[in-house]
Amino acid sequence: MNITETSNGAIAIVAIEGRLDALSAPELRNNRSVIDPEKTVVLNLEKLDFMNSTGLGAIVGALNQKLQPDFGIVLSCMNDDVRSVFEITNVQKLFHIFDDTAAAVEFATTRQGAHT
Amino acid sequence: MNNSNITLTLPAERLFARVARQTASSVADLVIGDDRHEPAGRDFSHAFELAVSEAFTNSVTHARESATPQVVKLTFFFEQRQLVVSVHDANDPFTIETPVPDIESYPENGFGLLIIRKVMDHVTYRREGNYNIISMSKTL
Amino acid sequence: MSSIITLTLPGEIMFARLASQTASSLADLVIGENREESAKRKFCHAFELAVSEAVTNSVTHAEEFDAPQMLTVTFEFEPRQLTVSVRDANPPFSIDKSAPDIESYPVHGFGLKIIREIMDQFTYRRDGDANIITMSKSL
Repeated sequence: MNITETSNGAIAIVAIEGRLDALSAPELRNNRSVIDPEKTVVLNLEKLDFMNSTGLGAIVGALNQKLQPDFGIVLSCMNDDVRSVFEITNVQKLFHIFDDTAAAVEFATTRQGAHT
Repeated sequence: MNNSNITLTLPAERLFARVARQTASSVADLVIGDDRHEPAGRDFSHAFELAVSEAFTNSVTHARESATPQVVKLTFFFEQRQLVVSVHDANDPFTIETPVPDIESYPENGFGLLIIRKVMDHVTYRREGNYNIISMSKTL
Repeated sequence: MSSIITLTLPGEIMFARLASQTASSLADLVIGENREESAKRKFCHAFELAVSEAVTNSVTHAEEFDAPQMLTVTFEFEPRQLTVSVRDANPPFSIDKSAPDIESYPVHGFGLKIIREIMDQFTYRRDGDANIITMSKSL
């Protein structure tokens, strides 16, 4: 797995590439923007090929770190395989999910602005 | 991944060459870790995958007709920066000292061992009871 | 006629990925060429995911013990279905757990729910000192 990070204003855009499973989940859990309670993160999953329930748990765990469970972690661009894992487990209910990263960033920026 | 044996036992059928190859590639990726995104890591992985593919194909090609289905067993082992794979089969004994095919005669086979020797650091053959064991290693 | 493929692995986290990748390449092999691309992809992903879940559970529990142990993953390729069993030497457990409550933002416990959802058969049995999980998916 590869994590690359960019920022857009106050929003961190964390792109995950490859496989998110028990082997790679610790890297996401320990990511600095992910563990910062005040940082709003857009997780760009466009290049995430495979995710199992351990990876899903790491994404929910990231949300649990945030002061704002409604928009602390926003998801974008997941493929059908990854989406199926969110749907089977019903975890999609916990997240705002967008088909493109720009829309996710716009949503996160608006929500964050309303809170500060 | 240290001192750990992984074994994969497959039916001796050409169909399964892809599974042998992909498992070899996954093992190599585990061993090289984060370097798999670097050219050197990718080269290592490709070379290893290719060698396993050639050895498996050789085993399948020479598998005997038999009432009981024949199998090919691959054993992976990583130690002191060396990734080792052994390929076991129950075929007739053979030698890995075969001459390089003469390109001028447009040969269609016989390249497998040549490729293996080219891409791996060490290649050995031994006979154990009724089994052939080719061992190949590559240093990270 | 059926074909048997066996993979044995150390019970460590890093090898769970290997088992699921082998599962994916086998699924791709058995699903055949005559299916729609999306159906093929769905089958392969489901099978890979189920193996990933079962093996991850197994190695996670194996790592709680000091003594290293091996796991055996056996694939059986039959004309109408693909079956996989995962055998380990962990303490006995149950697969009849309810799925975690989403409202509590759970980070664990989704594996069995996923397997039950995506595989056609899912059984557990205890054989001496071994746990055996068996899962099948129809082609």
